[in-house]
Amino acid sequence: MNSIFDWLTIILRRDLLIAFRRSATYITPLIFFLIVVTFFPLALGPQESLLSSLAPGVIWIATLLASLLAVESIFSEDFRDGTLDDFFISLEPSFVLVFAKVLIHWLITGLPIMAASIIAAIVLYLPFDSFLPILLSLILGTSFMSLLGALGAALSLGKSAILSAIIVLPFSIPTLLMGTSVITSSINNQDYFGFLMIMGAMLAIGIPLLCLLTVEALLLNYD
Amino acid sequence: MTSMWKVLKQWFIEMGSPPLFYNWSSKIIPWLGIATLVLLSIGIFWGLFVSPIDYKQGDVYRILYIHVPSAILGESIFIFMAICGFINVIWRAKISGMMLKAAAPIGMSFTLLVLVTGSVWGKPTWGTWWVWDARLTSTLILFFIYAALIGLHSTIEDKTKADRAVSILSIVGVAIIPVIKKSVDWWQTLHQPSTFTITSSPSMSPEMYLPLLVCLLGFYLFFAFSLTLNLRNEVLDRERSKNWVKQKFSS
Repeated sequence: MNSIFDWLTIILRRDLLIAFRRSATYITPLIFFLIVVTFFPLALGPQESLLSSLAPGVIWIATLLASLLAVESIFSEDFRDGTLDDFFISLEPSFVLVFAKVLIHWLITGLPIMAASIIAAIVLYLPFDSFLPILLSLILGTSFMSLLGALGAALSLGKSAILSAIIVLPFSIPTLLMGTSVITSSINNQDYFGFLMIMGAMLAIGIPLLCLLTVEALLLNYD
Repeated sequence: MTSMWKVLKQWFIEMGSPPLFYNWSSKIIPWLGIATLVLLSIGIFWGLFVSPIDYKQGDVYRILYIHVPSAILGESIFIFMAICGFINVIWRAKISGMMLKAAAPIGMSFTLLVLVTGSVWGKPTWGTWWVWDARLTSTLILFFIYAALIGLHSTIEDKTKADRAVSILSIVGVAIIPVIKKSVDWWQTLHQPSTFTITSSPSMSPEMYLPLLVCLLGFYLFFAFSLTLNLRNEVLDRERSKNWVKQKFSS
């Protein structure tokens, strides 16, 4: 009899192994993020004042797009080769499966993006003091994006990847607003803790609610 | 009291059956249509021609008799859809899924109407078609969420599955409603705070807000009317291979 944590570690170990054997899974979002960030100075010109005022938005737009990139792969591979069926048969609380998948998605997109965001902050001339708020807002924001992404992936399972993007993007706007507000207020030496608390609250509601709804969405394929 | 509850419960269960719903709605549709027509024409005539002119904005303010009810409708239809979605996810009631599907295009049209009438009003009053203000932006997001729901429904072949997928998404999407509602209080916005609250008397004069109330009621009736029409179509479409539909249309 396995406990929930055993299941969690089993799925995590398996999926992390698969991800690391294929380096493209975690390199692609990272490269994509950096390319999108690079496009802004190229398109808008290299003035320092302009770039640093646009930087919070640039970092967050690039983050949202990059984390959407891997959304489609959250369940599709396991769905195609039948692993997902096995999970649903053997695993009592399917909540654990979804939670583990969200965690994996965050580890292979959210975490690399957070590392790259510091590079982006440096090349977009953001002050050193803003690095901590950037990282804090990204931890909360990318986790929420992974949750939303899992729901979008489950709803659009077996369909085009662009559908999951269209489903997820309108729902990611609050994250975008809060995330940019955190960075902007830290640059202007204002208190940014309130925005972080709202993002934390969204995450706290999102983990149980979105995981359950994702389970429900996955079960649509097994009627 | 208990007998009334029983009758209501019985009615709800009956409405879950497509043929019973279809027959019942045939009876109610003309009444709904007449009531909508009467209330909307009274409300709009009263608002556009009878109610006094605004001393600051002039006649331009009269667009609010369309703008405010459609804003309220756009949001309350989404709440209605989320409730339908919730019922559909938990109890798998087929008709609630159809209701969700039937309500979505109506809600999206009302939200579009809010945005259009708002910018038509904004041009002479604020001097611009659009500002990135919290109320306007959150309403625009609501419009995109409607689009996402309708788009998702159209991509899934099996209608019952599509209903459930959209139900799940509508439960998440309902979080936008309190944000729209509270946006004028939480952020400094160009959009004025709400005139109507349930708890206190309105800050408008009665000659101005009474026609607005009539319009609002008319809009709600119009929603009920068009929802019933849409739902009848949906029921017929899904049950087209069933015997009762064949019998009804064979003669």
